[in-house]
Amino acid sequence: MSESALTPLSAPPGIFDEMFDAAHAPRPHYRDYADWLAAISADHMAAKRAEADLIFRRIGITFAVYGEQGGTERLIPSDVVPRIIAADEWDRLEKGLVQRVTAINRFLADIYHGREILRAGLIPEEQILSNGQYAAAMIGTRVPRDVYAHIVGVDIVRHGDGTYYVLEDNLRVPSGVSYMLSNRKMMMRLFPDLFRRYRVRPVEHYPALLLQTLRAAAETDSPTVVLLTPGRFNSAYFEHAFLAQQMGVELVEGQDLFVKDACVYMRTTDGPKRVDVIYRRIDADFIDPLAFRPDSMLGVPGLMAAYRLGNVAICNAVGTGVADDKSIYPYVPDMIRFYLGEEPILRNVPTWQCRQPEDLAHVVAHLGELVVKEVHGAGGYGMLVGPTSSAQEIADFRVRLLADPENYIAQPTLALSSCPTFVEEGVAPRHIDLRPFVLVGREIRIVPGGLTRVALRRGSLVVNSSQGGGTKDTWVVDAPGGFEAAP
Amino acid sequence: MLSRVASHLYWLSRYLERAENMARILDVGASLALLSGDGDETSAIEPLVITDTLEPFRATGRPATPEQVARYLAWDPTHPSSIVNCLEASRENARAVRGSITSEMWENINDTWLQLAAKRAGGAEPADAGYFEWVKERSHLFRGVTFATIRRDQPYQFIRLGTFLERADNTARILSVKQARQPSALGGDDLTDHYRLSAVLRSVSSLEAYRDTYRDAIDARRVAELLIFDPTLPRSLRFCFDEVVRNLRELPQAPARTARRLAAHMHALLEHGALDDVDGVGLDAFLQRFLRNNVRLGEAVHAAYMELK
Repeated sequence: MSESALTPLSAPPGIFDEMFDAAHAPRPHYRDYADWLAAISADHMAAKRAEADLIFRRIGITFAVYGEQGGTERLIPSDVVPRIIAADEWDRLEKGLVQRVTAINRFLADIYHGREILRAGLIPEEQILSNGQYAAAMIGTRVPRDVYAHIVGVDIVRHGDGTYYVLEDNLRVPSGVSYMLSNRKMMMRLFPDLFRRYRVRPVEHYPALLLQTLRAAAETDSPTVVLLTPGRFNSAYFEHAFLAQQMGVELVEGQDLFVKDACVYMRTTDGPKRVDVIYRRIDADFIDPLAFRPDSMLGVPGLMAAYRLGNVAICNAVGTGVADDKSIYPYVPDMIRFYLGEEPILRNVPTWQCRQPEDLAHVVAHLGELVVKEVHGAGGYGMLVGPTSSAQEIADFRVRLLADPENYIAQPTLALSSCPTFVEEGVAPRHIDLRPFVLVGREIRIVPGGLTRVALRRGSLVVNSSQGGGTKDTWVVDAPGGFEAAP
Repeated sequence: MLSRVASHLYWLSRYLERAENMARILDVGASLALLSGDGDETSAIEPLVITDTLEPFRATGRPATPEQVARYLAWDPTHPSSIVNCLEASRENARAVRGSITSEMWENINDTWLQLAAKRAGGAEPADAGYFEWVKERSHLFRGVTFATIRRDQPYQFIRLGTFLERADNTARILSVKQARQPSALGGDDLTDHYRLSAVLRSVSSLEAYRDTYRDAIDARRVAELLIFDPTLPRSLRFCFDEVVRNLRELPQAPARTARRLAAHMHALLEHGALDDVDGVGLDAFLQRFLRNNVRLGEAVHAAYMELK
C-alpha cells in the first residue's frame, strides 16, 4: 500500500466490467466515482476499510461458518468500492422481477389447487407431484390473497455481453438483506462526500416495507407479527435479530410458541399472547415436528394444523420450495407466458436437466465447460465448476452424476460480470452477482438495488459468503444508463 | 415480553455483576496479601471462602497462593463463576436478546468480549490490579449505557432485578466471611484491624461513605450497620432491596405473588430493622438467613416470569 493514487484495473476481455467500457473509459454512471477515486490514495482506502472492519466487529455483524469450531464468528468482508447500477437498467430489472415473482405465486397457487399448468401439459406432472419439495399438506389449503412467496431473493448475474440472467429464485428463506442495510449505513459513514456527488436511491426503508408485507399476510386488522429463528447458533442469527429489532417485533424460538385450540400463542411474562403472523427463518421441514420432521427441536407442535385452519399466517408459505427447485427453474419463462400472457423480461440461464438422457449425454461430454449443481443444493456446496476444476475433480464428479442423474442440472459457465474491488493488489476486478429482495404484500415492492456479493479471490466465480465471498454496497443512481444488450 | 427474553436479560446482568464482584474481591485480596506477608494461607484462600469455591479449587491441585487463587477465580475455564466465564455468559445472554436491548448496550457488551479475547491472547491472562480495574470499569460502563439508553420498561426491570439480587448476595457474603474472622483471634493489632475493615469497605466502594457517615475510626459494628441498613449506599442490602421491590412492583403482578411476598418481608427487616435486632440472633446467623432467603427469592422470580410453562 502507498500514498500513490489508486489506478483501477479493467476486467480481461470476455468479462463485462461494470465500471469500464472496452476502451477503459468509465461508463457514464461511474464517471463521478472514477474522478473521485483518482484523487484517493491506497493508504486512505486501507484506513477506511480498517475502520469499517472495526465497526462491523464491534456491532457484531458476523456470520457463523459451518464446519468450523463452535463459537467461530467471522466477518463477512464488506468491500469499500460500491457497485453502481444506472436507473434505467434498474427500472427494467424491477419490471422483470415483478413479472417473474407474480408468475411464480400464480404457479404455486395453481399446483396446490387447480393444477391447470399440469393439465395444459407444460410441466410433466411427476416432476411436481413426486418432487420432495411439493408439500402435500398444502393441497387445498387457502392462503390469504393467494400469496405463497412473500419475501423472494432473486439471484441475478450479468454475462460477458452485458445481459442480465436470473440464476436462481430463492423462495424459502432468502437471507442477506441485513448486509445490504449494514453496507449502506457503513458507506454513508465512511464516504459522506460520495453521497453528496450521487443521488443514490435509498434502501433504509426495507424493514418498514417488510413489516407492511408481513402484516398484509394476515386476515386480521392489527395482527401480531413474530420472527421465528432457529436460535443464536444459526449462521444468519445476526440478521434475524436485526430485522426483528428494526421492525419492532418479537424474535421467537420454537420453544417460545405453543398451540392451543388450533391457535398459536407465545409465552410472555404477562401470560400467553396470540400470534397472527410468523415470519419463519427456519426451513419448512422444521416448523412442526408433528407434521414434518419428528426430530425437529426448532419447531412448534401443532403449528401446521393451526396454519391449515387459517388461524395463523406463515411467511413464506409452506411448500414454496417446489418452485425454486433447480429442476423447476427451467419452466419459469413458460409460467410467465402461461399465467400472464407476457413475454419474460428477464432471461433464464439455459439449463440441461440431467434427468433427461439426451441432456445427460451432453453434460457428461462437456463437464469441463459446464457448471453442474445439485437440484436441491444451496450455498455453493456440492457443485462442480468445470473450467476451474482439476481432471481428478471432474472424474470424481462424473461418478456421482452418473449414479444419480436426476439429482443434477447443468448450465454453461457464465462469465459473471466484474466490478472494481479493493484487494491486496489495489483496485482490481472481481466477479459479482446481485440479489434484489422482492416483497409481496398488497402490492409488490422492491428496494432499489439489493445485495451485491463479490468473489474476493482473483478469478473465482463463487460469491457465497460461506466460501470466501464478500459483499458490496449497491447503488441505483439517477444517471444515464451504461450498457445492456437487447434481450 | 417473552419469558425466554426475560430470563436472558436477568442472567446477562447477574453474570456481569458477578464478574464485577469477583474482580472487587480479588483486587482487595491482592492488596491485603501484600500486608499480611507470605505465610498466611487463610488470607490467600479468603476469596475462595467468600465465593464458596474452596473445594473445587483444592481439587485442581493448585498451591494456595494469592496468585494461584486469583488466576483460578479470574481465568479458570472449569470454574463456572470465574470472571472469564461470567463475561462470556453475559455476552452469550446478550447475544440471544440483542434485539431487546439497545444497540449501544449490545455494542458495549460485545466490545467487552472482544477486549477480553485480546487480553487472553497468547495465554497472557493477567490477574493483577489493572485487570480487575478493567472488569469493574466495563461493568460500570454497561450500567451507564443501560441507564442512559433503555426505556423504563420490562427489559430494564429484569436487568435491574438481576443486578441487585446478585449484588445483595455478594455484599452479604463478604460481610459474613470478613466479620466471622475475629481480628483478635488472629492476634491482630489495631492497625491490622483497620486495614482489614477498610479492605471490606473498599471492596464494596464504601470507604468514603463510611468516613462521611461516621467521621470516626473504622469499627466492625458500624461497618455492618452501614452495609446492611444504609438506604443511600448503592451496595448495601437495604439499597439493593429497595431496588428489588421497586422493580418487582413495575412488573406484571399476577404471576409473582410468592416472589413479591418474600421480597416485601426481606425488605421490611432492612427498612425497619436496626443493628440491635441483629445482635439478638447474631450477625452471622442473620446473614446466613438473608443469603438463604435471597436464593429462594431468585427461584421465585424465575418461577414467576421465566419458566416456560
